[in-house]
Amino acid sequence: MSNINGKAYAMNAITPMKPWKTWILRALLFIFAQAVKTSDLKKLSFIHFARWVIVPHRKFPRVSGEQPKENLQYDYLIFFSNFNGTWNQYIDAFSAVLSTGLDAIWWWSEKFPGAVPVTPFKDYIALVQFETDYYYDAYPHATTNDVKAAHRVKAALDELAAPSPNMSADEFAKSYLQFLTRVQGDLGATGEPPVGT
Amino acid sequence: MANQSGGVYGLTILSPIKDDPNSEVSPNLALRIYLAKLPRHRNSPFAKVSSTHFARLVVMDDVVYVGMPACEEHLQSKYLVFESNFDGDLDTYLERMAAEIPETVDAVWKHCVGFPGVADVAAFKAYMKKCQIETTFFFADVNDKTVQQTLRALQTQSAVTAFIVKHQGASPSELQAAFAHFMEKLNKAPLPAPAATLGKEFVDELA
Repeated sequence: MSNINGKAYAMNAITPMKPWKTWILRALLFIFAQAVKTSDLKKLSFIHFARWVIVPHRKFPRVSGEQPKENLQYDYLIFFSNFNGTWNQYIDAFSAVLSTGLDAIWWWSEKFPGAVPVTPFKDYIALVQFETDYYYDAYPHATTNDVKAAHRVKAALDELAAPSPNMSADEFAKSYLQFLTRVQGDLGATGEPPVGT
Repeated sequence: MANQSGGVYGLTILSPIKDDPNSEVSPNLALRIYLAKLPRHRNSPFAKVSSTHFARLVVMDDVVYVGMPACEEHLQSKYLVFESNFDGDLDTYLERMAAEIPETVDAVWKHCVGFPGVADVAAFKAYMKKCQIETTFFFADVNDKTVQQTLRALQTQSAVTAFIVKHQGASPSELQAAFAHFMEKLNKAPLPAPAATLGKEFVDELA
């Protein structure tokens, strides 16, 4: 299935919005981008990259005269996400952790039922989702938590290694133990994803 | 700028797909057939454009009708959606696509209206920018590390884990000597290729 590559899932969802509502959403997303809501996204900690893109009804790209002109009433909000885990886990977590933020973003889309309760929310996302034809991931064996942990290990290792040639064996052993304590939660191997994601 | 988060750029492109009622295989289906066969892992063309973290190509057939009382409406064209998350700036990325995967770019976008080809890089970049949609809100969980830094960190994490396991119970002097040797091998180890799974044997050899 092309929505999945390794441990990442590619979601695409498109929802119609009345054009006058678009400006409210733009303002909200601008505020979110500046401040607090990204921290909620970080709390989820299984999204590598995500984006919301507003396509105004008159702004679908028209690159030549041979292309028929679009005649749309709605602006469209397109959501792209690169996340780890299953679709159900993702929507459940979104509903549980980010319902206020998601309601603020999708409230302006036609017939959005709200992120809570989760069943109509899932029905809505399933309706507006469209499939990915090709999906590339530069580190398919790693989740976003793996990536963050790996960078912490690398930074700690560099700090251990730099002074190590000038240490006595006992000093090194002590620093090594401190290093182990520091990185113990970030160790482990990445690898093939479990079947089902 | 909403297209950027830290050092990562979020590119969104919508390219209208040709409509040819006389062709045996419609352009959108031909495109889907091509994409289905395109390698996704180590041999992916995007592995050659090595600043790419994640990328997707999607044929968007139409907008979605969500039911009454919303209005039902339809697109006049199908669109190829290109979503990419990469390091650096847009111009450099498009130039790398044109230089490093010209056959793939041509094979994909030849199904799109007005595509000038990649031979004329300036025309290609102008076309892609004309099809670009500004990202309204872009989130990158890790936005201060390049693909290569992340691949190196993942390699390091695996190697360190194997080293720790292998040298449990070593005396301080043995440990220090082994660590110096480990760091020397690790620093000389080639960078893992994008989209390749790190082999266990390789990690064990480093440890």
